[in-house]
Amino acid sequence: MNAARENILDRVRAALRVPAHRPPDPTDAPIFLPVINSEQRFRDEFAILKGEVVTDLPAFLKEFPRIASDVPDLVPSNASVRDSDLGVTGCDCLIAQTGSIAVSTRSAGGRALSVLPPVHLVIARRDQIVPDLVTAMELLRCRYDKHWPSSLSLITGPSRTADIAKILVMGAHGPKRLAVYFVS
Amino acid sequence: MTTTAQQFLTDATAKAADLRHRAVIQSNMASYNAAVARGKARFADWQNARSRAAQIKWETINHLDRYLEQFERNVIASGGHVCWAETSADACEYILSLARRHRVHNVVKSKSMTTEEIHLNDALEATGIHVVETDLGEYICQIRGEPPYHIVTPVMHLTKEDIARDFHEKLGVPLTDSAEELTMIARRKLRQEFLSADMGITGGNFAVADTGMIAITENEGNARLSFSLPRIHVAIVGIEKLIPRVEDLALFWPLLSTSGTGQAITSYSSLIGGPRGDGEPDGPEEFHVILLDNGRTRLLADAEQRDALHCIRCGACLNACPVYQNIGGHTYATTYQGPIGSVITPHLRDAQEWSHLPYASSLCGACTDVCPVRIDLHHHLLHNRRNAVRRRFDHPLQRLAFHAWLWTMQSPARYRLAGKLGALVCRLGFKPPRDFPAPAQESFRDWWGKVGQASCLSNPERKTGKMPVLL
Repeated sequence: MNAARENILDRVRAALRVPAHRPPDPTDAPIFLPVINSEQRFRDEFAILKGEVVTDLPAFLKEFPRIASDVPDLVPSNASVRDSDLGVTGCDCLIAQTGSIAVSTRSAGGRALSVLPPVHLVIARRDQIVPDLVTAMELLRCRYDKHWPSSLSLITGPSRTADIAKILVMGAHGPKRLAVYFVS
Repeated sequence: MTTTAQQFLTDATAKAADLRHRAVIQSNMASYNAAVARGKARFADWQNARSRAAQIKWETINHLDRYLEQFERNVIASGGHVCWAETSADACEYILSLARRHRVHNVVKSKSMTTEEIHLNDALEATGIHVVETDLGEYICQIRGEPPYHIVTPVMHLTKEDIARDFHEKLGVPLTDSAEELTMIARRKLRQEFLSADMGITGGNFAVADTGMIAITENEGNARLSFSLPRIHVAIVGIEKLIPRVEDLALFWPLLSTSGTGQAITSYSSLIGGPRGDGEPDGPEEFHVILLDNGRTRLLADAEQRDALHCIRCGACLNACPVYQNIGGHTYATTYQGPIGSVITPHLRDAQEWSHLPYASSLCGACTDVCPVRIDLHHHLLHNRRNAVRRRFDHPLQRLAFHAWLWTMQSPARYRLAGKLGALVCRLGFKPPRDFPAPAQESFRDWWGKVGQASCLSNPERKTGKMPVLL
């Protein structure tokens, strides 16, 4: 396959000898509207996405007999990821701009726990809310630069699809419900 | 004319007259347009977002060798493997040999146009490997045995009744009129596939050079399951998918989802940089990235159209295109349909066979207006027409007609004669293929000579500027 590598790179370099027209430069104007109150914005966006904010944790957990948890101090595990009705994870940060939750293989107990169980509960602190995607990416860079987790995801609401006639259906393959519980 | 072009004309003619198709697409477009308008309102400056994205992609594509090597170094450093594939066959062969080596029997795939491009499913099935599409739209395509209708919305052309009938006939489930029930049927069926798969194959929306990661945008979670559960994860991406920094995703993720579906960001925006890492509880044992050329370096060598490689495959130009809406995605018979497909397909595949595609455009420029990375699509369609004529791919009769037109337009007398002949032919009962207004009883020239000139010049209102229409 090394021949292919050299062939492709040679063709790329030969092609780039002829310069292409450069597009006009962008301005310094902000791309996105500023986020004023991050916590309120997160709650608003999360609600529109059909995310749930849990206030009474014991009452919420009663719904789920089999729980797989990566936050054992707060929610003990009693099932494997594959057999669980609820996956409980931490997160890296919450993003107010889009109502997203950033998880990684290190912050959220691997890959499957936050996507395989039918319901996903995220345990977070309010101070983990960042205003926007730019800040979130900076935070991930600071935390993980030089040694990134093997996988990260921004989770924005429960799994959904509109592939059938643009009709929105929740729970296509991933969790049908997504909840956040804020610890103090 | 090639048989591909003939087939295109036949299919386009049939589809354009299909009122049911038109109704389904129009209903889809109405939802899409409303969602995109809401999505764009979340930007402070959409035009500037496009400019910034265009600049980043320009920087990447015009230093592609550097970014490819950086990407490769970083993937290898985090324990992944990189395969450079010059052609479809090379890419398929790499996956097949990997499957043989690891005794893979079951493959789950998440939505990837690049795997459509290389006809991966056919290659896998030919060796007896069970391969399942897991994106709901792609799953429906697989059940129906037809290619995706649209690069983002694979079954845009189907109603939920159509899909219910397919599920009933092919999967043996009761008929239903509920999209939710249909989705849950697919969820249950595919859950078993995820749990028993040995290999997960995904595409990638972006390849991040400075972290060596593949970025995948999706809503359903099928891509996440595909790269989380099986023993081996293979991601296949075109070499043009590079972006320099992970921070660039703070722009590209919202830009792609806004243009693709109108969402601020899709449900799952993921990054994968390697196999299961030290101390991680799960994840694949091996991670492979295939960097596919398959004609892309030919497009790169065309400096005039190089920006077509900036494409992030959002589908906005398809949705905006009046021709796409009328002739439908399958008529193009290409992996990538619509304006972007008509720009790149003659480069990626046989230039002569696909030289008809750039004519499937009114050159209205709607595609260029909506492109989130500012690709000059409608001018490239024109460039492709010019290139085809230069290489003498056009029909001899078309060539003759244009010469005749040129000759006619070069002389007032010939132009006048052509006008009279044209009117005569129409009056004698010639029916053009499309609706055409009946020629006027008197030509403008004749009228002008008799009445117009005299009356206008003598009319005092002319000086007051009240007759701008005539003069």
